Amino acid sequence: MHRYLIKRFLLMLPTLFGVALVTFLLIRVIPGDVVELRYSGDRGSVSQDIIDRERARIGLDRPIWQQFMTWMLGIVRFDFGTSMWTGAPILEEIKLRFVLSLQLAIMATIVAVLLAIPLGVLSALKQDTWIDYAVRLFSIAGLAMPSFWLGIVLILLMLVVFKWLPPMVYTPFWTNPVQNLAQLIWPALAVGYRYSAVATRMTRSAMLEVLREDYIRTARAKGLMQKLILARHALKNAMLPVLTVVALEFAFLIGGLVVTEQVFNLNGIGLLFVQAVAHRDYTLLQALVMLVAGSFIVVNFLMDVAYAWLDPRIRYR
Amino acid sequence: MRRSVPVSIALILALLLVGAAPAPAQDKPRSGGELVFVVPSEPPSYDAHQEETFGVIHPMAPHYSTLLRVDPTDKTGTKPVGDIAESWTVSKDQLTYTFKIRKGVKFHDGSELTSRDVKASYEKILHPPAGVKSLRKEAYGSVASVDAPDPGTFVLKLKYPEASILLNLASPWNWIYKADILAKDPHWYEKNVMGTGPFKFVEHVRGSHWVGKKNPDYWDKGKPYLDGYRAIFISNSAAQVAAVRGERAMIQFRSFSPPERDSLVQALGAKVAVQESPWDCANLVAMHHDKKPFDDKRVRRALTLALDRYEGSKALSRITLVKDVAGIQVPGTPYATPPAELDKLAGYGHDIAKSRAEAKRLLKEAGVPDGFAFTFKNRGIPHPYEHLGIWLIDQWRQIGLNVKMEMIEASAYHPMLKRGDFDVAMDFQCGFIVEPDLDLPRFLSHSDANYGKHKDTVIDDLYSRQGRATDLEERKKILRQLEKRLLDEEVHVFYTLQWHRIIPHLAKVKGWTITPSHYLNNQLDTVWLSE
Repeated sequence: MHRYLIKRFLLMLPTLFGVALVTFLLIRVIPGDVVELRYSGDRGSVSQDIIDRERARIGLDRPIWQQFMTWMLGIVRFDFGTSMWTGAPILEEIKLRFVLSLQLAIMATIVAVLLAIPLGVLSALKQDTWIDYAVRLFSIAGLAMPSFWLGIVLILLMLVVFKWLPPMVYTPFWTNPVQNLAQLIWPALAVGYRYSAVATRMTRSAMLEVLREDYIRTARAKGLMQKLILARHALKNAMLPVLTVVALEFAFLIGGLVVTEQVFNLNGIGLLFVQAVAHRDYTLLQALVMLVAGSFIVVNFLMDVAYAWLDPRIRYR
Repeated sequence: MRRSVPVSIALILALLLVGAAPAPAQDKPRSGGELVFVVPSEPPSYDAHQEETFGVIHPMAPHYSTLLRVDPTDKTGTKPVGDIAESWTVSKDQLTYTFKIRKGVKFHDGSELTSRDVKASYEKILHPPAGVKSLRKEAYGSVASVDAPDPGTFVLKLKYPEASILLNLASPWNWIYKADILAKDPHWYEKNVMGTGPFKFVEHVRGSHWVGKKNPDYWDKGKPYLDGYRAIFISNSAAQVAAVRGERAMIQFRSFSPPERDSLVQALGAKVAVQESPWDCANLVAMHHDKKPFDDKRVRRALTLALDRYEGSKALSRITLVKDVAGIQVPGTPYATPPAELDKLAGYGHDIAKSRAEAKRLLKEAGVPDGFAFTFKNRGIPHPYEHLGIWLIDQWRQIGLNVKMEMIEASAYHPMLKRGDFDVAMDFQCGFIVEPDLDLPRFLSHSDANYGKHKDTVIDDLYSRQGRATDLEERKKILRQLEKRLLDEEVHVFYTLQWHRIIPHLAKVKGWTITPSHYLNNQLDTVWLSE
């Protein structure tokens, strides 16, 4: 088991290096840079001399390989540098938004799991009945509707019907839970619904597969109660692929809610991504991509560990 | 129930009239409340001397004072009044300006402001220390020296008389900083706030909001009226409209588009008031003077003659941020072109058939064949660039030109203009005060912003003369000559339509007057809430 874990851990490093290299090069392909954007502004009359000096100050005049080396050396020391747009430390910029994005990801996951598992199990148990069809319709609708679109519809509904809009400014849960939930419950519902659609379909198909296994037939034959068969034998075994889907989707939510955060004006990682791209803030953008890539890699690693723990065949292979 | 279109238009007009009318006598300012407003951009640093975006001015101007300011009640935004300068005198030769500094103006740390602070702030703007940027120091080329002979006196000496100097000293960017702080660390103000303005700094949460609270020691007793303000940063325009519509925010000080204004008026009815003004921003068409056939002034003249600006104004003002037909200055301001003069310029006549016939003749004379094709490069921003671009292409098509529009991503657009990598391109300018000395340097032969690369010593000379003409009428006369040379005789560039600023706000927001610049009138000391 230990050898397996070390091997999986070491594999994370070249993956992260690859992500770093590709990110670094790709964002420099986009035309324009942060200095150009900052000083072209509305008037567009700042002298070329000021623009050149600012480029030199933030190191954009240095060769690409030197910029990359400086960045990589910083990462090794866990120093991501400062934002080229605001001058604030990158970790400070991210920390500020991470709390909101993490809370939203957790809330959306709770919404998704609470919807997906009961509906998926129900759909499998009542296969080919009207209940199954209704659940499938519900989940296909969730897949078909982008969460940001659902978000826009929710906002319009609240505005037009209730003449009410969620708070515009984030309040931490511990400061004022009501205010906090009043702001985040709507995006959590919009995102959670789409997320639940994927998980519902996965739960249904995994359950259908497990329910046809020999050990379920044996459990039924020896007279075990249906509830016990479902909880102890079927659901537990069907959860492995569902957990994978839920975990990967969770990692995606940390930085992937780009449009939804814009629609609800949430000061999260997704909105920060948009701003970093719009400002050509290379250092911030690189750090954000690394954060999201890191989240995926860590979640993958944890899933591998969980698989190895749950399934002995994997760790002995 | 859905309102019919005429009813909506009538409602908008009524609200506009209400917005434009002077405040009734019973509208006595009321103290208290928090103003919540939306800011579509965010400050990169906190130092206005080295920033260029209104994202600095809107949330931060209430913390600071300037030597002079633009009168907050003046709709033209061109009348300088004292801010921390109580009064001033000008020497007979118009080379020495002596300002008396108000007594009792305190920084938010409790220390008294003196002329030493004014001098240190202006020294930072005029002669920034190594490693410190000052984006507008070129605007003060006429200044020979600044001095603080005693704590209550600030003296500014000029190398030559300059008509615009007082307005230039009312620049909303020239915040007065504390001399002791600047002496210790000239970068301190990039990350910290400490001024003498009507509101003290409370907090800035990046990406979210900015909060200020009333400064009880503000020099203008009785002001500010508000207990505080909260600026919410929202970049998405639909979310900005939703914030006002849902009454989570009361105003956005930059501008909304006409459809956004209409949707707010329709949704909020009497709860919303609308203020509108010609905006000190304009889109111009730059033609590269080194590229054929645009090196020929007959071709350039044909391009401007093709435009039916008056009909274009009617159509475009319904859907995007442009409206007035104007020359080199914003309509309604002191140096704006009178309509009779404007009509005489190429492309400004009311007989469009005659103009287009003339345009076709000029193209033929210049040897440009019917159906001649070129690419028009435009900035990749919808309002008003995309709308104007489509309109221009249609106008040029009507004189037999076949134009393809290429939208250039916003950050690549300026480098493209600077490289001169275009035949014909959309250019733009936005000013913070309507003043020829601030708006016209881009047309000088040596200017970095002269993207079409024209060389014209006549323009250079006229510009220099108008700046030194301290007599209003004489200056107007020179400006008309410059305008005729620039837009008619040589057609180095030409204006499309003036931008139009539209501020729909909750009707309970009082004491704020729109000006042509979205950089002005943001100190909020005069603003109050009626409920």
